[in-house]
Amino acid sequence: MPSSETMERYGDGYLEERNLVQRWPTPIPQILNLVLLGALFYATWWIFQDPRGWLRLYTPFVGYNYCRWLLIIFIWMVYIFNFWPFRRVWLERTHPVVKAVVLTSIAFVIMMIVIKGFFEGLLGSYGLAYFSPDQMQKIGITEFFAEEYAALAILMFAALASWLSPAWIVGMEGAPWHKERQPVRGITILLVTFFLATIIFFMTMHPHMGILYKEWQSFAAIAPPWWHDFADTVSGNFHVSWIMCCTVVVWLVETIWERYPFRVIRHDWARRFATFFGIIAIAFACHFFLYFAQELWWGEAVRGTRRLMAPDWRWLHVGEMMIFFLLPALFITFYFGNWPRKGSPTYRVAVRTLVTLVAAIVIYWLYYNTSHLFLGTQKGFSHPQQFPMIPTIWLINIMLINHWFMDNWPGWKIAPQTSTESARNETAMDPALKPAE
Amino acid sequence: MTESSQGPTNDRRAFLRGAVGGTALGALGMMGAYSYSPLRRAHFDTAEGAKTDIGAVKSLKVTNISETSWFNNADLIGDIRGAGGLLVNQYKFNWPPFADKNGKLAEGSYADGIKHIKADLPNNLERAWAFQMENAVHPENAGGYAALLEIEMRDGSTKKILLDSGWSYDWIDKAFQREGIDTMLANGEIDALIISHEHFDHFWGFPVSMKYAPEIDVYVPDGFYEEGFQYVKDSGHRGKLHVMKPGLTPLFDGVAIYNFAIPIITRVYGENSLYVNIEGKGLVSVTGCCHQGIIRFAETALKEIKMDKLYGIYGGLHISPFDDWDPKYDDLVFTLGDYGFEKIGANHCTGLLTVKKFIARGLPVVQGTARFGSKDPVYLGNGDQIGFGREVPLMSPVSAEVAPAAYSPPASGAGDDAVKGATY
Repeated sequence: MPSSETMERYGDGYLEERNLVQRWPTPIPQILNLVLLGALFYATWWIFQDPRGWLRLYTPFVGYNYCRWLLIIFIWMVYIFNFWPFRRVWLERTHPVVKAVVLTSIAFVIMMIVIKGFFEGLLGSYGLAYFSPDQMQKIGITEFFAEEYAALAILMFAALASWLSPAWIVGMEGAPWHKERQPVRGITILLVTFFLATIIFFMTMHPHMGILYKEWQSFAAIAPPWWHDFADTVSGNFHVSWIMCCTVVVWLVETIWERYPFRVIRHDWARRFATFFGIIAIAFACHFFLYFAQELWWGEAVRGTRRLMAPDWRWLHVGEMMIFFLLPALFITFYFGNWPRKGSPTYRVAVRTLVTLVAAIVIYWLYYNTSHLFLGTQKGFSHPQQFPMIPTIWLINIMLINHWFMDNWPGWKIAPQTSTESARNETAMDPALKPAE
Repeated sequence: MTESSQGPTNDRRAFLRGAVGGTALGALGMMGAYSYSPLRRAHFDTAEGAKTDIGAVKSLKVTNISETSWFNNADLIGDIRGAGGLLVNQYKFNWPPFADKNGKLAEGSYADGIKHIKADLPNNLERAWAFQMENAVHPENAGGYAALLEIEMRDGSTKKILLDSGWSYDWIDKAFQREGIDTMLANGEIDALIISHEHFDHFWGFPVSMKYAPEIDVYVPDGFYEEGFQYVKDSGHRGKLHVMKPGLTPLFDGVAIYNFAIPIITRVYGENSLYVNIEGKGLVSVTGCCHQGIIRFAETALKEIKMDKLYGIYGGLHISPFDDWDPKYDDLVFTLGDYGFEKIGANHCTGLLTVKKFIARGLPVVQGTARFGSKDPVYLGNGDQIGFGREVPLMSPVSAEVAPAAYSPPASGAGDDAVKGATY
């Protein structure tokens, strides 16, 4: 291997080391990027998702499937593979728009290979029928529902991976493979987290899929599912809830919490396990608390009923509520430099958490009062076609493209670091946001 | 490697950070544990609110005029999928009776559709429907939902309510004629037409009712869209139009409408359902589609209405209308028996699979005769009757004259002479 290849770092540490400089004083770049994000969101929503638009993928699960897989593939490309095989110089010198087009196109191709090739073509045709719309139609399920059921099953893998893959980087700090070079590190962590996702899928969503059929697939899945007594429902939404909580908590810990309080633990493996399982513990606390909050607001859920009062929807809505916290948390980190940067960690984390909470409540209120007008979703909270995780994750995908692939263009640009800045950044930079070594 | 692993810079600070973080995490954990413990129930409002006395009636007979809203699930759901899914505005589908000359799926509108038939409403419905047969998307798949409620009042008089007006002009007009609804409407014997919700299969046959009784009192749910109100006018309605606000509205002694403000597929909002309190028996729930869910309907009654008990159910329960399934539907199958219903007449959007699961679980389902296009005897089918507080023959007398034998036609409906009796 040539020496230049040996020394190539690809995108390892790129996000933390790039020197993003605002082109104009605050808040012009923030407003400009918000306008760009909004325009891109709305244009792509209309093209791909909107029930009044062009491709109308918001069925909802078909559209949600693509949305979730794009998210996890972005995470894989950036967090697990550190942009491999793209060289560092390409990342630093290519125009942000070109990078966005190239990298998003690659993500799209990978997504289609995973969904159509791996899940529908391979697993669906040769393993489990519920991954393949064609196989389900052969046993008499209507085309529409065959596509919806398959999309649900496939997207749950993405949902699990979007928790586990970043959790391995944030919680376990990529260990014990953090010192491996790319692509060995990426492939290893990908395989390990996908394996864990598979185990959890079979314990959570497989029994859900198993009772979709008549008769219940009692020989192949636990039916009724093992959780139905304490979750008050046979629906897998019970798991959707805590898995979404885990997904969001990972990013809260990574961004606005700067990996506090776990980072104060000095012993490496103790810190890693505490972070990884601490995220799960926090997620379960949110999972139960937000369910309780709904009971306080709407009354105790009644098993067997539909929508607002149904336990299955209440669990789903826990996940929906959590995603509203993620939007402002990411925005604060990406576009406000994780403000505030001064003061004690407790102060910083408390202020950001408070701002995130308030912003999430405002966005939640706005969403449920307006989304049926501008997104074409169903009015109200609880209709199966009112699925806020799709537009919110769609917007998050666009934010990730802008922040990860486009270096916050057009409001920001990459500037060469002066030696003073470099030294200051080295001391001021949040070590928690540094790449795993 | 993180900052903390590089060694302590300030032990006291690190201790405080750890203490603050640990306390915060502990508090979060306690909050989570408490949130799903039995202790949380102390926060729920268990006080019984004031219940409304809606009165009582002697008995109720429901005649199923038509529960077959469409004949082929694959065509209907295929259209929905092709148009862009369950949220697409129903007036855009180019379904009958709002076909435009383009006739392409998902490219229609109320304005483009109504202009071709407005002149024919409500007295030349044959011509209006003939246009649909030539231009609409899957006009042969349109049927419709309608039921007649005959209520024996405590003073011995009878009140009649027509619940919904179907979809296909041709199908529902023939069903009206088969059950004698046309004559009842024309003679002013029917006191009210209650439209459960704006969906195509419950409302778009509205001109057929107007053909016979344009002055009838009509009740629609709050949430009707502009197109719906315009269609009421364009159909020639000249009577009172009542828009039911969310909540309970007594209609007659012993009968009340309950409006649920709920979102429904194909951009429909709000549903009217009926409670009929049978003296000495209990409360009967009568629904078009019951999008609110039968358990919620029952829970609402238990919370808001004075009654002896929950007694009966009639109508579509909207559980697996396309014989799709979701595990949450099993939650309903598990729990419906706990409510003590004694008679259940289910059909239409309930889902054959659901009713079969009800029967397997021992629920008191009154099965039907599978005539006039109804596909399976587990449904209380077209031309069948159910009595609450009185015994009635399973077949309505007039339908028994036309088709006296119960049978199970093939699932496709092919070979069903009663269906062949329609235009298609």
